[in-house]
Amino acid sequence: MKRLIKLEWAKISTYGFFRLVLILTASLFLLTVFVFSRIDISIPGFTWRNLFRFPDVWPSFAWVASWFNLLLAILVITIAGNEFSGKTLRQQVMTGLSREEWLAGKGILIFGLALFGVLMVFLTGLVFGFIFTNDLNPGIIFQKMDLLLVYLLQAIAYMVLGLLFVSVLRSNALSIILYLLYFMMIEPVIRGLCPVEIRPWFPVKIISHLTPFPEFLQITSGDALENNAMTFESIGIMPRQLDGPTTLIMALVYISVFGTLTYLVVKKRDL
Amino acid sequence: MILETNNLSKSYGPVRAAEDISLSVDSGTAFGLLGPNGSGKTTTLGIVMSVLKADKGSYRWFGQEAEPATYRRIGSLIEIPNFFSYLSLKRNLEIIARIRRTGTSDIGRVLDLTDLRKRSSSRFDTLSLGMKQRLALAAALLGNPEVLVLDEPANGLDPEGIAEVRKIIIEQKNRGKTIIMASHILDEVEKVCDHVAILKKGKTLAAGKVNELLVTDNIIVIDSDNNDSLKEGLVEQALVKSAELKDNVLEIVPASGVSSGHINRYAAGKGIIINQLYIRKSSLEEQFLKLVK
Repeated sequence: MKRLIKLEWAKISTYGFFRLVLILTASLFLLTVFVFSRIDISIPGFTWRNLFRFPDVWPSFAWVASWFNLLLAILVITIAGNEFSGKTLRQQVMTGLSREEWLAGKGILIFGLALFGVLMVFLTGLVFGFIFTNDLNPGIIFQKMDLLLVYLLQAIAYMVLGLLFVSVLRSNALSIILYLLYFMMIEPVIRGLCPVEIRPWFPVKIISHLTPFPEFLQITSGDALENNAMTFESIGIMPRQLDGPTTLIMALVYISVFGTLTYLVVKKRDL
Repeated sequence: MILETNNLSKSYGPVRAAEDISLSVDSGTAFGLLGPNGSGKTTTLGIVMSVLKADKGSYRWFGQEAEPATYRRIGSLIEIPNFFSYLSLKRNLEIIARIRRTGTSDIGRVLDLTDLRKRSSSRFDTLSLGMKQRLALAAALLGNPEVLVLDEPANGLDPEGIAEVRKIIIEQKNRGKTIIMASHILDEVEKVCDHVAILKKGKTLAAGKVNELLVTDNIIVIDSDNNDSLKEGLVEQALVKSAELKDNVLEIVPASGVSSGHINRYAAGKGIIINQLYIRKSSLEEQFLKLVK
């Protein structure tokens, strides 16, 4: 394990695109939350700044961070794709690295990048939470922090799917284009053609729903709607979603399926 | 036995890249895979190095089924050198050392051996093809592996580089390493290998010791005042294996036990005056071409 971590780090630590994507992801995330934090909308039943207060800062920041998961997935596609197209994977296998070890290395990379995302959300959330929360008590800081683990799972799912795409296609450009098309067009179109009951079960739908669109009305309405909390779903703004535990289980199932398919492709094909 | 293959076969669509290739490589030998481009040399090496999947057949390294640890005992260079373009030579070799679990202390030695020490901090993508080839050789030598598998090791090198690489390979051979080398350059195989398998269109045409398989006949070149009559007489008397008129001279391969003196005496007896007679060795290339035709 330690050897694989060192090996993976030796490959990527000086890779310019790796550094660029990490800096870009962190900068864009910070910029987004900073700009959002300058907005001050407050109408009866709706206080925008509640999104930056403990404990709601965690789900709202996890949701914002989820926008940048695509960048991390593109990074994984590029790193793995370079090893296919540059045939360095071939060289490593001839040198004595098993295909399983190579995949484990990519698993470590994916986990590391997801942890980077979690750390980014955690530190930023902590700073903004302390700045914006008026009535600070230690108990509320950690409420809803489990959303960070869900975000971790979501980031992993995005990247594992990216790894599957590049393992099958072995071309960086084609993999990135098809991956983005799948997220933005292919699956939404297929979903649209399917019966309503099936729609929430598609992989992108499941993965995206892990960090759902913050239900501002519920979060911000506070006591006024305490006993009759409205959600976007309940008032028909959002389509029907699966419940949290089912979404979580399905996300784990999809990660396992993508991981297994990647393993089979890498194991069976010529390098 | 270092390597044994049994009926290795692989096709790419309708193209049969390797067909029933069976080879045996003993410890300490330098084994050449010789054949024209597209004969299946690289495919065969790719299969035994586990980067290509055989459609049929099997192979064993060191008498056992190959596993990743097996390949840590083998240094290899197949096709073009494949390294991380954005990493320095040293960092690329560190990656190889980590995979081979040899530690990084040997990197200096292989950089010196391949004369790359001065460029150790250069990025791989700034190197010339010849230097990339040297780096690939350095990577193959890293950790002092028992076996070297080299595919066209002189590819991209200038004549000086070819001589240096050949020297390194021969040194390794003299140290008792097993060398498996694919090449389409006969001279390279002749100078390095003691055993050879000749491939053509994915099939093994012949395999054995170089000095037996690519045996070089003496050719006697004669210029006389009646080449036609001399040729006819020599064939009639069964003094030659073959006789051919080329550019107004007669080229003969004498029958077993027949010397140039016998030929001279025969001509004198028939009243044919020989103006010129000399012996030349048939080249390895002629023997090879004879086999692959």
